[in-house]
Amino acid sequence: MTSYLDATVPNRSEHLWRYTPWSRVHPGNIDTIPVVQSALVKSEDLELNQTSFEPFSSTDIARIFLNEILEETVVVSCDDANGHIHIHAGGHAAATHLHFSCSTASNVIVHLHGEPDWFGLALTGDINANAQLSVGIINELSSDSVMVRVDDWCVHRDARFELATLSMGGHRNKSDIRSTLVGTNASLKQFIAVHGHGTRHDDHHIEIHHQQPHTTSHLILNAACDDRSHSIGTGALKIDDNAQHTDAGQVFRNLLLSPSSRAEAIPELEVLANEVAAAHGAASAPINKEQLHYLMSRGLSEQEATSMIVEGFLVDSFSGLDSDHVREAMQTRLTVHLECQLIG
Amino acid sequence: MTEVLLHVENLHVSVGDTPIIQGISLEIKRGEIHAIMGRNGAGKSTLANVVMGHPAYEVTSGTIHYKGQNLEDMEVFERARAGMFLSFQYPAAIPGVQVGTFLRKSVASVRGEAPSPRAFRKELNEAMKQLDMDKSFLSRYVNDGFSGGEKKRLEILQMLLLQPDLALLDETDSGLDIDALRIVADGINAVAEDTGCMIITHYQRLLDLVRPNFVHVLIDGKIVQSGGPDLAIKLEREGYDWVDALV
Repeated sequence: MTSYLDATVPNRSEHLWRYTPWSRVHPGNIDTIPVVQSALVKSEDLELNQTSFEPFSSTDIARIFLNEILEETVVVSCDDANGHIHIHAGGHAAATHLHFSCSTASNVIVHLHGEPDWFGLALTGDINANAQLSVGIINELSSDSVMVRVDDWCVHRDARFELATLSMGGHRNKSDIRSTLVGTNASLKQFIAVHGHGTRHDDHHIEIHHQQPHTTSHLILNAACDDRSHSIGTGALKIDDNAQHTDAGQVFRNLLLSPSSRAEAIPELEVLANEVAAAHGAASAPINKEQLHYLMSRGLSEQEATSMIVEGFLVDSFSGLDSDHVREAMQTRLTVHLECQLIG
Repeated sequence: MTEVLLHVENLHVSVGDTPIIQGISLEIKRGEIHAIMGRNGAGKSTLANVVMGHPAYEVTSGTIHYKGQNLEDMEVFERARAGMFLSFQYPAAIPGVQVGTFLRKSVASVRGEAPSPRAFRKELNEAMKQLDMDKSFLSRYVNDGFSGGEKKRLEILQMLLLQPDLALLDETDSGLDIDALRIVADGINAVAEDTGCMIITHYQRLLDLVRPNFVHVLIDGKIVQSGGPDLAIKLEREGYDWVDALV
């Protein structure tokens, strides 16, 4: 295992770090490993067990860094369970690792809050054969926080996995979310809604790897960027040569709400199998004037109409979720957040 | 004296450098139904849209007054709150916004206060029943994936709830089957008595069900002929060629 101090810091020519260099999301000087405290992880309705952290076998700098600072793993027992996990982070630097193991059917919301200067979040999981897991991640960290998130999910034969992310908090976020479909007929649906405001910088890199035939994956990332915020969505879809009859799609949509906001959407495909359906699309646009006019013709002021369109755009990110539990939790939290923004 | 709701005086409208409306004058009083007919591209929808304040259209000369007030400086939402309503020919879809939420906010905006949830539910149920609409409509996203007929019903549902003083109906009959047309026509008749209506249509079939007081024929952005309901029947029978001779 490579130690962090021996690892090579990636430069911006690497796809993963092009828009958010490692130096901008490290908790301090990149040649140091700071003291990091564990975040508080609580749940009233799910069983959580602590175990020693098993390091990632990865050459990625963020995972190598997390190997140095993580000591424990919180194992989420999520068989036939619906529940919430609250992660509260504080201090200069905090981190946690959650591992999900699911063999039946479960719906879990993970809610991030607190005011850490820096937060490291590692999420891993095995969605075992025939299991169904739906996970919603809600980021409501302080507007001063920097977050590094790494995910490694493994979806097994005939399993269905849904992963939804509602990203509203933090000042600068770098998320590297990787999923591997390792069994035939495995299915992944991933939904990401980003609300950019102030000078928020939110970078999502999503890797989906189809290793077996008859697997499906669908990704939707909707980012609404206001003020001087910047959203980045990079996708890497890989379909192995034996993963025939794969059905995969990636859609990145950006709604630009101010002249100073920015958004990048870069889906990438590496398809080695012949008989597959693989589609990707990306679009960035300001508010649709016909939508605005329609709502204003029904008595809504321009600000009210814009808010409604933005809310709808982000809510729609989660429309494809099969889990009512997760969809309703994400949409409710989003609505509360946007109403607070409007009042504030 | 019957209140004049809409007074359009020598209106000229352009989109970019292209003139669309070239000198229209029209007056609609409360309780009157005016049908606007004409070929595609004659400027019918432009007239409705410019009255409602669509930003794509520029009034190059002439005036539009609503209840005696010049509309020039009124924003679109202010027109709606003042009692104007446009049933769109192609209403925009708003993904992610549920019909129920949209209707509640719209009604609250136009009325200036949110109705009580119980009163609003009752009002909504009655209006939906009148239009033969299923309650599942309310949880769908506004116009998203709607058929042509569903869109038109939603437009009329909004009109019933908003109870406008002036209703502009832009091809509300298009995309409707015979039964749906009758239901929508009943909806229009339910508000027409107390409202000024401008109905833009290509077909006599709607005017069989919603009886206009006046019919106007628009050719190349001008009203070239006005008359009573018989004019619509003549157009249905003979087409527009005879009107061309009047230009």
